[in-house]
Amino acid sequence: MLIQLLNGLVYGGLLYVLSVGLVLIFGLRRVVNFAHGSLYMLGAYIGYTVASLGGFWLGLVVSVFALTVLGALLDRFVFRPLQDEDPIVTMLVTFGLLLVLEDAVRTVWGKDFLTMAPPPSLSGVLLLTGTNFPVYRLAVIGIAILVAIGLSLWLRLSRVGLYVRASSVDPVTTGMQGVDTERLSATVVAIGAGLAGLSGTISAPLVALAPSMGGSILIDSFVVVVTGGLGSFTGAFIAAMLIGQVHNWGVVFVPSAAPMIPLVLMVLVLIWRPSGLVRAGA
Amino acid sequence: MQINRRKVLVGSTAATLLSVARPRIGWAAKDPIRIGVPTAISGPYADLGNQVKRAITLAVDAANAAGGVDGRQVEVRYLDTEAKADMARQQGEKLALSGFNLLTSAIASGEALAIGPQLARWDALYVSTINKADDITGKSCVPRMFRVNRPDAADAAVVQPWLKQQKQQKWAILAADMAWGRNSGMSFKKAADANGRTVVGESYSPFGTNDYAPYIQKIADSGAEALWVAITGRDGITFAQQAKQFGLFDKVFTAGVSFIADNQVNALGDALKGVWGIINYSSTLDTPGNKAFVAEWEKKYPGTSPSNFEGETYVGMQVIFQAVQKAGSVKPGDVAKAMAGGSFDTIFGKQLMRQEDHQLLGPNFFGYVGEVNGKLKPIITMTVPADVATPPPDGSCKLAG
Repeated sequence: MLIQLLNGLVYGGLLYVLSVGLVLIFGLRRVVNFAHGSLYMLGAYIGYTVASLGGFWLGLVVSVFALTVLGALLDRFVFRPLQDEDPIVTMLVTFGLLLVLEDAVRTVWGKDFLTMAPPPSLSGVLLLTGTNFPVYRLAVIGIAILVAIGLSLWLRLSRVGLYVRASSVDPVTTGMQGVDTERLSATVVAIGAGLAGLSGTISAPLVALAPSMGGSILIDSFVVVVTGGLGSFTGAFIAAMLIGQVHNWGVVFVPSAAPMIPLVLMVLVLIWRPSGLVRAGA
Repeated sequence: MQINRRKVLVGSTAATLLSVARPRIGWAAKDPIRIGVPTAISGPYADLGNQVKRAITLAVDAANAAGGVDGRQVEVRYLDTEAKADMARQQGEKLALSGFNLLTSAIASGEALAIGPQLARWDALYVSTINKADDITGKSCVPRMFRVNRPDAADAAVVQPWLKQQKQQKWAILAADMAWGRNSGMSFKKAADANGRTVVGESYSPFGTNDYAPYIQKIADSGAEALWVAITGRDGITFAQQAKQFGLFDKVFTAGVSFIADNQVNALGDALKGVWGIINYSSTLDTPGNKAFVAEWEKKYPGTSPSNFEGETYVGMQVIFQAVQKAGSVKPGDVAKAMAGGSFDTIFGKQLMRQEDHQLLGPNFFGYVGEVNGKLKPIITMTVPADVATPPPDGSCKLAG
């Protein structure tokens, strides 16, 4: 019982860190970033390589930093020039980016599957209600909670956070009040990409690394973003945790319908509240 | 003249020197052998496509270095199918119509099944080296399609004798939620019933699952003493990695099909140590042909040994070359005639290409992942001879000639 609950938290936590990055980017740039899955993948690969040279934690830091820089570049050279275009154009460009990044990774790291061990300090198991539970999984839950707390403190208490919230509700008025929304967006897209790097690296010890690894988890995180309410940070947290649990209990109780349940949940939520669990900016 | 593997090896150095000086006209006297390879160069199965390419490159380079096959130069062209059936049909057509009409080595069974019905129209030939669906040599068989690798039925056939030797009574099944995984789960259940074992849990995980924790917990809760796994590729690695972290393999005896393939072992290392499974080909196989092949391989790709898929793809090349030799022609129709019912010298030994369904008869193996010279590899402990391992045709294949 407890174990399955924890398992749900682990997957929910991973989904949260990935999807909150999507939410950030959507909130400020109104871009549905299809390349987010490949940023996650790139984060995992960078984490893998640096971790093999200098340990897991260095890998984590370098991967987040590298992706943050990439995010800033992405905003400057892709999202900003395209902001007056039809949203569909931007979406197609992000989809193209996904293909380019996958091929780039394939060229650099090759086509063979890679795996990465958790850091030695977290590689043991903990006896919980008679079952061995990997310590690393508990750490993933911890990291997700830290990200959630950190983000909400930043958004609620800092001046930049205030601007971000204002800008995601009404960018034009916020700009008129003297906020440099371009710089703000660059910061936010960079943070969003950095979070994709973070989620990639923390999931690297859990899944096999392959250039295509971003695809399947991206779909789950889109479900999270839509269920939570496009552009809502709290909504993304609630939806991620909910879908983590639903995914888990589905496998336990209704295995044949398990893959469908998160999607059914999304549809039900959208019928009940068409703008998602939490309305953006609320 | 029979081209003998050892002669090829010995003569290859001299031949390389000769081929430099040799005028191009020497090749032009006879039509070249043109091999078309519609395979996964990108997409989730790119890793398998890469293995196909390595094996074919080795075979072709060695053949050309030794003066060609039947006095003909061998040429290869690869086109990317992403392991998708519709793309396999398009790329197969492109290859065949541009003269590369001896096709081989698509990845997914669906690709072979899409190519099969077109072969007559394209005037081409297809040799499966990876595709496992029984239908390829069953109800969807066609005169121009052949298979050298083990079909699903051959994997099912080795489970029964192996299970009989195992002491575990309570088994759980975890398989991929696709045709292959479902089939494998079903045939394992049949084997378990026949041997008086109980199946205490059965789960099928969707393609692309990222979190196997709920499945692992379910297996642990089911009270199973042993687990049968039919998941491969990236999913298989993800599952093994997470199962290892939960300590599942220490508590539950684990075996599977396509689960301990070489690429999985290479990616996972220690996580799969001690896990059992069906092995279609192992580089540790003790035949003269295989020893020569492995030696040649290690020279060309230092620090590696051929994987199961690489071994099986190489067999495909051996069969194609020998059939061309026998036919004295590169016309797909002639080559197909030479292939059907023919006997071939492969790395497994002498093998017969069955006339009735175009399935190459071969042995199948069972073993575990262990250390050989400090490297983890699938090691064979049980060999099931060709006549048992390749079940007789079930009559669903009707080849009109």
